[in-house]
Amino acid sequence: MISPFKSMNNIVQERDVCIMLWKDEYELGVPLIDAQHKELFKRVESFLQALRSATSWDEKIPEINKTLDFMKRYVVEHFHDEEEYQKSINYPGYKCHKQIHDDMVNYVLDVSKQYEKCNTNEPLMQQFGGRLLAWLINHVAAEDQLIAAYAKKKGVSGNDR
Amino acid sequence: MIDNLYKTFIDATRNVFNLMLHLSEISDHPGEDFKSDEGVDIAVSIVGDLEGEVIYRFPVSTSLNMVKIMSGMEFEAVDDFVTSAISEIANIISGNVLTELSASDLKCDRLPPVQRKPGEDPNKDKEYELKTSCHINTSIGEIGLEIRLNRI
Repeated sequence: MISPFKSMNNIVQERDVCIMLWKDEYELGVPLIDAQHKELFKRVESFLQALRSATSWDEKIPEINKTLDFMKRYVVEHFHDEEEYQKSINYPGYKCHKQIHDDMVNYVLDVSKQYEKCNTNEPLMQQFGGRLLAWLINHVAAEDQLIAAYAKKKGVSGNDR
Repeated sequence: MIDNLYKTFIDATRNVFNLMLHLSEISDHPGEDFKSDEGVDIAVSIVGDLEGEVIYRFPVSTSLNMVKIMSGMEFEAVDDFVTSAISEIANIISGNVLTELSASDLKCDRLPPVQRKPGEDPNKDKEYELKTSCHINTSIGEIGLEIRLNRI
């Protein structure tokens, strides 16, 4: 049984959120994971909007800080849930997928540390935003779809769980 | 597989562009005379059974269009955000190629992508067993690809 982050899950379901970055084709058919992905996309989108807004850097800092705090906590929680799901269906790509997750967690933590040292580092955050955007889209549109394809092939689709 | 590297890179680029940017009309032709403006040149070094580098040349308009498709936002110039997003795409394409190569028992790894100024080419005069270049045409602009590798 994968651990439910019901509070996070409900946030997405309760609000009728329009997430520009999200596309229905990203859905895996695993309700918990799909809800977490939508939450992740929603937060990244808010982050990017703040990061790219025409306001001064000082005005952007509160949203930047909020997103970094969220990412440090939520990315770890979500990756853990996704990995538990992979184990539960004996997904053969588990080890490789976990390595990709671990690398991203390390990157987020490393950027956070650098940012905390000098929180006026706008170039660092712009670089982080660009990489995060491309990484997230590829990961959900490509890597995670392999899990869904495997589950479907094995007849263990997410809706059964 | 090494003889087929050109196709492997083109296929990986096509797949990534299709999945991430929803671009399906992609064609390619060999050619060394890729004219890149002040765009983004990204070098990804390869180590292992093959060693060398792959250089992706993204002109300004192509770079801005790619990031616009991913984010839904308008970008007016190639800045740190755009360069980082484009570098990650080059990294993803290279990673997918290395995964394909590993299926043929060629064990390689890649180093983090590095941005080069257009025209800056420290390895231009090095000898490579496999050296090939091509232009990739998409509906949002061209991309130049240069593959330089040696078998170890």
